[in-house]
Amino acid sequence: MDSIRLDNILLNKVTVNFDDRFTLSEIDWTIEPNQHWVITGTNGAGKSALAAVLAGVGEIENGTITGLPKNVGLVSFEAQAELIAKELKKDDADIMDVISLGTPVHEMIFDNCQDPELAHSLVEKFGLSKLLDRAFRKLSTGETRKVMLIRALSNKPDLLILDEPFDGLDVDTLAMLQAHLASIVETTPMIVVLNRFDEMPDFITHVAYVDKGRVELTVDKKEENAFNELYQLLHLKTTDLDIPEADPVNKLPALDPSQPLVKLNQATIKYGDTVIVDKLDWIIERGQHWQLSGPNGSGKTCVLSLITGDHPQCYTNDIFVFGFQRGNGESIWQIKQFIGYVSTSLQWEYRVSTSCKNVIISGFYDSIGMYTKSTDNQKKIADQWLALLGMADRGDQPFNKLSYGDQRLLLIARAMVKHPPLLILDEPCLGLDDMNRQLVLALIEKICQGKETTVLYVNHHAEDKIKGIENYLGLKKNS
Amino acid sequence: MANYFNTLPLREQLAQLAKCRFMDSSEFADGVEALKGKKMVVIGCGAQGLNQGLNLRDSGLDVSYALRPEAIAQKRQSWKNATENGFVVGTYEDLIPTADVVLNLTPDKQHTPVVTAVMPLMKKDACLSYSHGFNIVEEGMKIREDLTVIMVAPKCPGSEVRAEYVRGFGVPTLIAVHEDNDPKGEGLALAKAYAVGTGGHKAGVLMSSFIAEVKSDLMGEQTILCGMLQTGSILCFDKMVEEGIDAGYASRLIQFGWETITEALKYGGVTNMLDRLSNPAKIKAFDLSEELKVIMRPLYNKHQDDIISGHFSQTMMEDWANDDKNLLQWRADTAETNFEKTPAGDVEISEQEFFDNGILMVAMVKAGVELAFETMTAAGIIAESAYYESLHETPLIANTIARKKLYEMNATISDTAEYGCYLYNHACVPLLADFMKDIKTDVIGKGLSLEDTGVDNKRLIEVNTALRSHPVEAVGSVLRGHMADMKKIV
Repeated sequence: MDSIRLDNILLNKVTVNFDDRFTLSEIDWTIEPNQHWVITGTNGAGKSALAAVLAGVGEIENGTITGLPKNVGLVSFEAQAELIAKELKKDDADIMDVISLGTPVHEMIFDNCQDPELAHSLVEKFGLSKLLDRAFRKLSTGETRKVMLIRALSNKPDLLILDEPFDGLDVDTLAMLQAHLASIVETTPMIVVLNRFDEMPDFITHVAYVDKGRVELTVDKKEENAFNELYQLLHLKTTDLDIPEADPVNKLPALDPSQPLVKLNQATIKYGDTVIVDKLDWIIERGQHWQLSGPNGSGKTCVLSLITGDHPQCYTNDIFVFGFQRGNGESIWQIKQFIGYVSTSLQWEYRVSTSCKNVIISGFYDSIGMYTKSTDNQKKIADQWLALLGMADRGDQPFNKLSYGDQRLLLIARAMVKHPPLLILDEPCLGLDDMNRQLVLALIEKICQGKETTVLYVNHHAEDKIKGIENYLGLKKNS
Repeated sequence: MANYFNTLPLREQLAQLAKCRFMDSSEFADGVEALKGKKMVVIGCGAQGLNQGLNLRDSGLDVSYALRPEAIAQKRQSWKNATENGFVVGTYEDLIPTADVVLNLTPDKQHTPVVTAVMPLMKKDACLSYSHGFNIVEEGMKIREDLTVIMVAPKCPGSEVRAEYVRGFGVPTLIAVHEDNDPKGEGLALAKAYAVGTGGHKAGVLMSSFIAEVKSDLMGEQTILCGMLQTGSILCFDKMVEEGIDAGYASRLIQFGWETITEALKYGGVTNMLDRLSNPAKIKAFDLSEELKVIMRPLYNKHQDDIISGHFSQTMMEDWANDDKNLLQWRADTAETNFEKTPAGDVEISEQEFFDNGILMVAMVKAGVELAFETMTAAGIIAESAYYESLHETPLIANTIARKKLYEMNATISDTAEYGCYLYNHACVPLLADFMKDIKTDVIGKGLSLEDTGVDNKRLIEVNTALRSHPVEAVGSVLRGHMADMKKIV
């Protein structure tokens, strides 16, 4: 058997245009010989496009691809559709008024075949023997898929690209195909596009995660944590998510819809002679998502804490929040009930030994830890959130044993659990690695789609934007 | 002024000492209503003053701070604390006459001059509140008859009072009404509303008396809480260094060891702290603590007797009058101890290792907690009070040692506690001299080196039974149950 004799395939800042329908942007990716990759991502993320680029599809606008072998086998729905369209065209093009049968299956398989022996054995294994004389276009979808597979496999490709190869195959065929793929691992590098992680063949060594036309992450399967996080991310991205309902029993008091959620009038914070925030006017109307940006030390967190009531100087300012003019005998718990809040410092402060489920439930009480008994409804809602986060089996695990990123996700669920009128996300991605950043952003985008919660997103990079947020407040550092 | 406690007949003394009832949460259903709209003026803006004020204001109450003119003029720390947190600040003359409740949160030592200055300014029928009853009980301060006198004493340092409130909880709190000063019978309602305002009702409130609070608080702080930890630190450190253990390691083992082992105490009492040891180590710690209890019991008795008789407060007040000569000397001496001067070494000690290599420290905590509890209850103080003033507060004090050793502990605690701590330490170090001679690194520094970790069944059962049946464990498990979710002391 030939062993793999390939160079690294190198994609260097590659931008590819697909008939102006889709663009892959600035792809950096290295595929080493002996690696077998899975490309994964949500629908429309660009998985198939990326796979197709390796088969020469698309127009490279920028960047370079080197080391790509000549003989690349591609099995995909797009290629399958194209082939069938071609066959149908033959029909249309027939001017002889004779019914064309189209290309028979044996021709499709054995013309230009590199390894007829292998093709024969595969035809038999895949149960196509009786269909060899039938017209290709008369086959069922599953059958044409098998033909495509046999063509690609028996063509002895130097790189085999399989885009959702297992879709639509019956159990026996699936097992057969997987066994065959396993048998060529040593000779043929493979790139497999997969939506579902649980179908991932054992021989896969690496995973590329694609989102919005970019390769966002690459993970070595040996790195177990990163791999599990990717699994969770895909779960969040691919499942049809419904944010769990609020507690039907303990409802938040209704707010007067004619009034803004927050109104800061000439808000000022100073320590001694040092002015941190200087005469800030800010009104947050209901449904108006905001982004607050500014460099370190510009007072972002101070401004937030005026709203949440955590800053002592909220009593010396003219602040109207959720129907309360501050400093008139209201308690901070009357304010906090309307706010969901997530920040890095909250995560640092959330050092209690309690279960993941309790962390979520504590959002109903705006407490760190649980000091009262939770209701059945609250427990049920917490379970729904856990399921949404892909942590259904971790409800009873201690919160402080979770990874940093998982803790952050739980704290976002905690903040959202009561469906607060205002959700404050203070640098929610700070300190997170790429993977967890993706996870958190995916969750926030889901929340922004909802109607009842107004999001206030804080980030010191003004350019780091979230879909759905259209109002910006930039703070400058006071010198 | 005469010692108030000593003016009471024995019958009344005993009744007051035994006053302590764990209140039901339903008793706080009225929330802060009794204080709503009333003007609360805090005197003193240290850790308790500031943090209680922050909590009360966040509970919707009207709080301002009265400071001495020089503190305002010189913009002292207390002035900064209050103004930077957005409070109204004024002189006694400005604010006290408008106050419905005056919260005296100054250090014990200042109570007499402060109360003497404030009382004539207070409006008729107002309320004067204390966080500690020393001034009333030991100094015998007489309060104007029309004034209501209450006590609300959070059983934690001020920073903790705030931190727990912010996380939606509170700290266990003791409340009392001075029965000689409750002309309108509203003292209890005010004290309860105050406890709600600081968040205390969520963590459990004990209804006590000024007398029980003072006599138990003094006892706890000078024996197990500060005295035992200070004595233990010094003895254990010197022993380890003498036995050739690296000084940096010894310093770290002690500085952070108290915090780690008492964390186990906080979660599950003495039993759980001992359960963290291997079976042979547990039996060893038990035996050592039994020995320590026999040696130290007379000392605990003496402290309690001096506190009950008033001898302790009398000698301390003499030192106050003598410009704190003793206190300052002892403070300087502490700074010169080898433990204090040796920084914690840059070595990793795992959580379990603090137990395994600190068997003697575990034994000292056990002996101190049990002795303080036993002595207090024998003096007529009720178990709940005794629990809070011994076992409950030990982890809090241990935490201050972890921050900056004995200096931080003595800087954080009250002058009264510090004075008592030195008294205890000076008596206890020589008392344990013989005992320490037999101590080797197997119980402090290195841990038992065992080839066989087996133990005798019968002996283990005896030890476990003795641990679990101690009265401090029974009351402790009930009171800890009220703190639905135990959290780490950050």
